[in-house]
Amino acid sequence: MSVPSYLDQNAPTEISIPHGAEWRFEVPYKTIMTLTVKDGVGEIFGTELPNDVALRLTGRKGAVYAPLSSGCRLQFETHPNRDNINTSNEDELVHQYVSTDTVVPQLANLSFALEVVRLQAAADRLRQKTGPKVLIVGNSLAGKTAAAKTLVSYAAKMERVPVLVNLDPKEGVFSLPGLLTATAVRDFLDVESVNGWGGSPTTGATPHIPKQPLVRSYGFVGVSENVELYKYQLEQLGRATLARLKDDDDARVGGLVVDTPPLTMKDIDVIETIVLSFSIDLIVVAGNDRLVVDLGRKFELQISQNALAVVKISRCNAVTEIEESFVRKCQEDTIREYFNGNFRTRLSPLKFDVDMKTYVIYKVARLLDYTSQMAFLPSGDSYTADVEGEEAPQKEESLEKYFVKLDDPNSSNLENSIIVITLVPVPANGVVLPLELLDSSVLGYAHVLKVDDAKQKMSMLFPSSNNIPRHVLIATDIGYME
Amino acid sequence: MDPTIIKDYELTLRELTFNSKSIIDVLTTIADENKLEAQGIVRAITERITKCIPEQKLYTLYLLDSICKVVGLPYHTMFGNEIFRIFTEIYLLVNDQTRAKLVKLFETWKILKAKNSTLPLFPEDQLEKIGNFLRQAKPRVAESLQGGIVQLSLVADISSLLPIMEQRGHSDPSDASIPQKISALRELKLILLLQQFGQPELAGIQARLTQMKTQIAQDSQANAIVPSNANNSESTPKFTSSQSAPAKSEATAPEPAKPVATVLFQNLISSGLVKVDQSLKKDSKPEYELVLPKHKYSPQSFNTSSASILSNMIQDANMSQLPQHEQIKYKELLKLERKLGTVESFSSNLQNFILNNTLDASTVQVLYETKSLKCSQCGKRFPSDDRGTAMKKLHLDWHFRINKRLSNHKTNVQSRSWYLDTAQWVQFQENELSEFEPSTVKKDVNTRATSTEVAFVVIPSDETNMNNVCAICREHIKPSINPATEEWVWNECMLAPGNNSGRKIVHVSCFEEANRKRGAENDGNGRVKRERFA
Ligand SMILES: [Zn+2]
Ligand SMILES: [Zn+2]
Repeated sequence: MSVPSYLDQNAPTEISIPHGAEWRFEVPYKTIMTLTVKDGVGEIFGTELPNDVALRLTGRKGAVYAPLSSGCRLQFETHPNRDNINTSNEDELVHQYVSTDTVVPQLANLSFALEVVRLQAAADRLRQKTGPKVLIVGNSLAGKTAAAKTLVSYAAKMERVPVLVNLDPKEGVFSLPGLLTATAVRDFLDVESVNGWGGSPTTGATPHIPKQPLVRSYGFVGVSENVELYKYQLEQLGRATLARLKDDDDARVGGLVVDTPPLTMKDIDVIETIVLSFSIDLIVVAGNDRLVVDLGRKFELQISQNALAVVKISRCNAVTEIEESFVRKCQEDTIREYFNGNFRTRLSPLKFDVDMKTYVIYKVARLLDYTSQMAFLPSGDSYTADVEGEEAPQKEESLEKYFVKLDDPNSSNLENSIIVITLVPVPANGVVLPLELLDSSVLGYAHVLKVDDAKQKMSMLFPSSNNIPRHVLIATDIGYME
Repeated sequence: MDPTIIKDYELTLRELTFNSKSIIDVLTTIADENKLEAQGIVRAITERITKCIPEQKLYTLYLLDSICKVVGLPYHTMFGNEIFRIFTEIYLLVNDQTRAKLVKLFETWKILKAKNSTLPLFPEDQLEKIGNFLRQAKPRVAESLQGGIVQLSLVADISSLLPIMEQRGHSDPSDASIPQKISALRELKLILLLQQFGQPELAGIQARLTQMKTQIAQDSQANAIVPSNANNSESTPKFTSSQSAPAKSEATAPEPAKPVATVLFQNLISSGLVKVDQSLKKDSKPEYELVLPKHKYSPQSFNTSSASILSNMIQDANMSQLPQHEQIKYKELLKLERKLGTVESFSSNLQNFILNNTLDASTVQVLYETKSLKCSQCGKRFPSDDRGTAMKKLHLDWHFRINKRLSNHKTNVQSRSWYLDTAQWVQFQENELSEFEPSTVKKDVNTRATSTEVAFVVIPSDETNMNNVCAICREHIKPSINPATEEWVWNECMLAPGNNSGRKIVHVSCFEEANRKRGAENDGNGRVKRERFA
């Protein structure tokens, strides 16, 4: 008698991971995998899993590592994921295998070396020395984010509070894609959340301690869309982060872990901006020997002054391929999680119809659009911003390079987009000060569900059910459909 | 007012046509001794900065710097409100080389606190304006300068040490070594001002100075303690980030303070900065000689300083008083520190260490079984001592509360909070979100009350105006009937805290929001007023 295949798949599969090896898995969105550690210790990118508790993973590629000599025995079973049953171009099978090729021992070495530095910072009774300020760079799929997760998780296990900075706008770290965040990590990451990081505070209960990010809006998922805006926002984030390190002794000792989008020597100006803005003192290059050498040359001076070191770690092979559609799905789910929560914590966003005339709405500018637009301006007729009372003889920031005001907000330029709610209240005279807008961090995000052009109303989804502020909005390039 | 003092001061100022340490010292001392004339002196210096040729402006600014750092009050506050104007005025008129020096100087201002105070040397807003100005003026300038920053701050360090030494000399004239020690420090300061040093030497000097300053700070603290008040004495140094140890108040007697100068000088000698020559002849005076640590300190990464900070620390900390899991951690890290070498180029060893080191099983266990109590629900670990057991219990209580609420899907209505603004985030205490924080417990109770049962305020029967307004968001609130009790109520509201009239109400959600934000409220950094739709 032949057993139906779905039963086959439902039967729990047992896996034994030897000490120092990792079990790699790829769970499609169509499928839910429940994973239970039965014996020994297992961890996903530094986050130790509880024993005998079923964890639910869907749409995830990762690895469970066995750090101790007792190894790790686990069980997993799969079920169809009804929410994603129509996700195309993937099969429903979980791909999985054990590999001894793992970068975790290197990351553990690095973590302990960093802890030595943190102890030295802790010993500084003048409280000036900081913990290590680490920048992780490398190609796509080199394991940068896996390294970042492992470094902050191990640090948190040693009772440190490093600040995790995410500069990869493709990832939504404790927030949505399209933005840059800095978050002090004191506790466990939530491996069950959409991207394995976890959530920000809600008005109620969450099964994991939430993490409180500082959020700066960029508005695109690609750095090249407006590299000027990207650099501007990361500089601002850097200033705030260093101020936090000055103010908060735990963060000072904890130092920084900065995760980045794939950057190469072509983006050296971006790398330099990051190094300066965050006072980076250690660059960790994931799986790119060439980049190690090039950066060594580039930062020769700082290295000779011992202000900076560049080291490499091996490429992390736990995840070898991620399709564009997989990334996109992950971004969508991250957005859904922001508004609606997840299977453990349900959130109730507020749907609200808004009179568009009472708002001032900007849109993030594509740099290419901006430069071509500038070419048409007669020379000498350059844009000057409306800044009053700034006595500093500094060059006034022109806003158009970053944000364009939407004079005619309508369904074609707003519908289904994610909108930034800034901290800038809509001014009575409608005139927004460029610097104020540029300096604003993000209060939250709204989703434009529908725009009624005739009535000049838009139907919006807000994360918070109270106190919806009438602030200047910035439409991002991130689209989303419910 | 003594016009002759100011006149003399102005005349001497004119001699400041080159970077003269001695003139700056003299003028600083005069400023120190004539604080009553501060206003005139400040005016003289500001005028001099404005009037002299660009090349000499920097030296006068050095004087300003020296006075503010060495003398402090009232000078640093008097210059403080002008410092942005003075600094930028100079910056705009000078060449790139001088600009670089200005930036270095500014770097020291950002770090140093005003004398005898926890406040910054100059007001934050002025420094911030300068910072912004520099960022705009020349974003790349900072990059090439990182090396030189320390040198000037070392001078400042010594400048702040000297008067303390001198004071010790006065109070203990029998100690004949003090004058020599002072002159050694003076000489070191001078050399620092005159000569460009490499980073390793600077790091070496800095390490020693930092240690001395700490020692002095501790000693003077220890001296200030009234013996009967032993409970308030120095607490054990705190190495862990999270919770303070349970109240175990064994009053450890404060260590008798060694005379500062002795400690200080022993440090100098042991560091190799000062060589001591004493012939074996009885009663012969020791000869002190300044030795520059040319080869003593090799390159270090991460600004690490003295030889084995960890081993020193472990000695200092009196290991036996630390929780056991921390003792283990320190011992393991000490092994690694030896492999990595704090002194001998940490960073070049680091690469080899990352790729080729194999951690001892006992080191790896620092992340796992060293804290042997593992939460059965989430995997978080706690040490097995009393404190760890107590923390784990709190942690499990937290799981219990959360699970109970999460299981109550229908009534547990919640949504994402707004993000913090920059100023709030900078000041945010991460442990406010922790399961051990009492405020979380309190908040939990609040939200539970409102989420498991609908909150409302019963409208007093004698109330004539049934319409009301939320005291926080000012939204109008209409009365409604509670179906269970058939009373008129204001739904989803609660009485405002401190309310007596029975009429002042707020939305429960508004109250929670306000409560959550309260901690960061007093930053004065323009918290944004929240508005609601009309
Ligand atoms: Zn737990
Ligand atoms: Zn209200």
